[in-house]
Amino acid sequence: MDVLAARLPSPLTVLSPAAVTVDPDRELVERFQGGERAAFDQLVRRHQRGVWHLVRRYVKRDADASDVTQLAFVRAYRGLASFRGAATVRSWLYRIGINCALSWLRDHRREEPMEIADDALTDANPAPARLLVGEEGARLRAAVAQLPPKQKLVLELRVFDDLSFKEVAELADCTENTAKVNFHYAVKRLRDILGGEHAP
Amino acid sequence: MRRDPRSPSELLAAYVDGVSELPAGERRALEERLADDEALRAEAAETRGLIGKLRELPRDGGEPDWAVLERSICDAVGAEVPRSWWRRFGWRWVVPGMALAATAAVAALVLHAPAREAGPAPAPVPSLAGRDRAPPAEAPRGEDTMALWLDGEGVEVELAAEALLDVPWEGDLNQEDLLPASDLAWIDELDAEALDRAEAWLGDPGSSQPVRRKRS
Repeated sequence: MDVLAARLPSPLTVLSPAAVTVDPDRELVERFQGGERAAFDQLVRRHQRGVWHLVRRYVKRDADASDVTQLAFVRAYRGLASFRGAATVRSWLYRIGINCALSWLRDHRREEPMEIADDALTDANPAPARLLVGEEGARLRAAVAQLPPKQKLVLELRVFDDLSFKEVAELADCTENTAKVNFHYAVKRLRDILGGEHAP
Repeated sequence: MRRDPRSPSELLAAYVDGVSELPAGERRALEERLADDEALRAEAAETRGLIGKLRELPRDGGEPDWAVLERSICDAVGAEVPRSWWRRFGWRWVVPGMALAATAAVAALVLHAPAREAGPAPAPVPSLAGRDRAPPAEAPRGEDTMALWLDGEGVEVELAAEALLDVPWEGDLNQEDLLPASDLAWIDELDAEALDRAEAWLGDPGSSQPVRRKRS
């Protein structure tokens, strides 16, 4: 049993994002709602990178991702006064980012008809090949692209955006348990697709 | 759609990637399975390795100049902090406003409560002793009323209690049995013997004859 315990992750050593139960951005929101504009600037500094990378998975060009990110923060600025804290600030911002990215994709559907799927949320553009590093990276990305939409979304939010399962559930519009089960089957399917070394 | 795990192993990836996010019961159940199932342990190791490799993938796109992006966002939103309507209105006005409204409502209820409505008035509590008691002196009529707050209702009571005496008594006594004040002058004319007899009867009404009213 000791050997097993040594192999397994310890609750004390494996701390995930969800281990933090207090929203670290809550204070900033309260300051902003109290009229302090600088609090919003801090929120931008904290989350622009995460929102940008999230949006970048949906749009194809970096410049477009920057435009959409800017739009997302402008919308957040207008809505922050009414933010009640039902979700974390980060997942709230990410939700706005996803919505803005989907709106952007809809607006530019005619410009890029072959690259924008009908269900943009789940069929977001795969990563551009020019950025992949090595053959294994390309295989991994291709495998992720083959996942069913919900599993893909959950896996990306969890692995690439480092969200807690609670936040993933908020963004994927499901329960936390559903997010965990989807994550399990996403990884399992990836192993099946990849075969070989990652197959059970 | 709600999806609960059918078996602890469905939470394996979540366990591997974030054990602290699993409730204690689910974590324990999975650890028991892992202790007994070598294949599951191997799967856990594979899962951990695959998730690690996914995390090592370079992120999509090249990084923009974050300072430029931040500046563009801050320029786009402007300087004025939008405020929700309830914050714009401000609690400093809401609380005093509500207090003022409550005070006004109570004052209106007390001061403008309708006077006793026409109809049967509450009957006075009968008292035998009251038979021999003179009615109170007549109080001036008019605006001599008093507002009272009874059981959450504002009522107006006339200070002149005479109105209460005008209510016909529906009990055993007849109206004519009540002595008017003007009829009590004869008491002053009673001699000592009569007074003694009256007091004896009042003390024990069955012991002797009641006092007869003597009209002057």
